[in-house]
Amino acid sequence: MCDTCGCPTPDDHFEHKKLVVDINQSLLKANNEQAQKNKIHIESLGAVGINMISSPGSGKTTLLEQTIEKLSPRFKIGVIEGDIETERDAERIRAKGVPVVQITTGGACHLDARLVHKGIHQLVDQGHEHFDIIFIENVGNLVCPATFDLGEHQRIVLLSVPEGSDKPAKYPKPFQSSDGFLITKTDLLPYFDFSIEESKREALLLNPDLFIFELSSTTGKGMEAWLSYLDELQNSGEKTP
Amino acid sequence: MHELSLAQGLLEQLKSICSEHGATKITKVSLSIGKQSGIVIDSFEFGFEILSKDEAITENAVLEILTVDPTSRCMDCKATFAGFEYTSCKHCNSTNLRSYGGDDLVLTQVEME
Repeated sequence: MCDTCGCPTPDDHFEHKKLVVDINQSLLKANNEQAQKNKIHIESLGAVGINMISSPGSGKTTLLEQTIEKLSPRFKIGVIEGDIETERDAERIRAKGVPVVQITTGGACHLDARLVHKGIHQLVDQGHEHFDIIFIENVGNLVCPATFDLGEHQRIVLLSVPEGSDKPAKYPKPFQSSDGFLITKTDLLPYFDFSIEESKREALLLNPDLFIFELSSTTGKGMEAWLSYLDELQNSGEKTP
Repeated sequence: MHELSLAQGLLEQLKSICSEHGATKITKVSLSIGKQSGIVIDSFEFGFEILSKDEAITENAVLEILTVDPTSRCMDCKATFAGFEYTSCKHCNSTNLRSYGGDDLVLTQVEME
C-alpha cells in the first residue's frame, strides 16, 4: 500500500498535489477589529467607555447605582449590562433614570465586541445622541472577559473583600489587562480575613501601572477617589467631543 | 474558556481556504498560540479533534501548535527577556516589569491537497 495516500498498490499511486499556504491571520482578529470600531463609535458620541470585570457578586451593579446617583445628571451616563440571563440588572439601573441596554448572552461567559456593537446601537436608538460615560458591565466572571477587547477606553477589575485577597495571584489575566483595580465591600473588612496589602502587592506585581481604589458602595467610604477619577477621565480629552 | 467555539471558527475558515485554493482536503494546520492568550491548548486540541471529524475535508487534518512566549521588559534597566512568569527583573531585581505579546491565536499555515 502506498504510504503517502493509502491507495491499494504502489502502482496505483498518483502524484498528490500538495499545496502549502501561509495564512498568518489572527483568529481573535474579528473581535479586535470590531472593538476598534466600537471605540470610534463611543468617541463619536462624546463618551469614554468603561469595561467593568469581576466575579459574580463583587458589587459591579451596586457600584454603578451609587456612581450614577452621584454623577447624574451632571454627566450623561449610559449603561450596557451583560448577563447570562434576566433583565434584573438593567431594571436596577433603569430605576436610577439613565438609559440602559441589557444584553443576555444566553450562556456565553463574556461579552464580545459584536454584542457590545449591538448594545451601543440600542442605547442610541433609545433617542440619545450624546453620552459622557458609557459603562459596560461585563458578565460576572473573573476569567473569560479579560480575553475580549470590547473597544473600551478603560478596563476596571473589581474584587470584593469576601472573595479573598489571593485572587490577583490566582486569576492574573484581568489584573494584567486592566487599567484600574477596585477593592469593593471594604465595610466587610472586620469580618473577613482579607489583606488589602497582599491584594495590592500581588496585583502591582502583575501590572505596575494599575491604579487601585478601596471603597464601599454601602457606606460611601472611598467613593470620592473613584468619582474624581471618572471626572478626570471624562475631562481628559481622550475622546473627541 | 471558549476553546470549542474558537476551534469551530477555525474549521469554518479552513473550509473556505480549501475551496479558495481548489483543494479537496486539508492535511496539516499550523497555529501559534500565545501563552498569555488564555487559551488552554489541550482543550483546543480536543475541540478540534472532535469537530474536524465531522467533515470529509478536515477529517485527516493534523494540528501543529507552536506556543509563543510573551516578552517581559524591565522599565528600570530596560532588559528584555522571554516569558512573563517573573515577578522581578533577572538583572536588577526591579519589580517594575511589563509583558508584551504572546496573547494571540494565529493561523500560520495550511497544507492541502
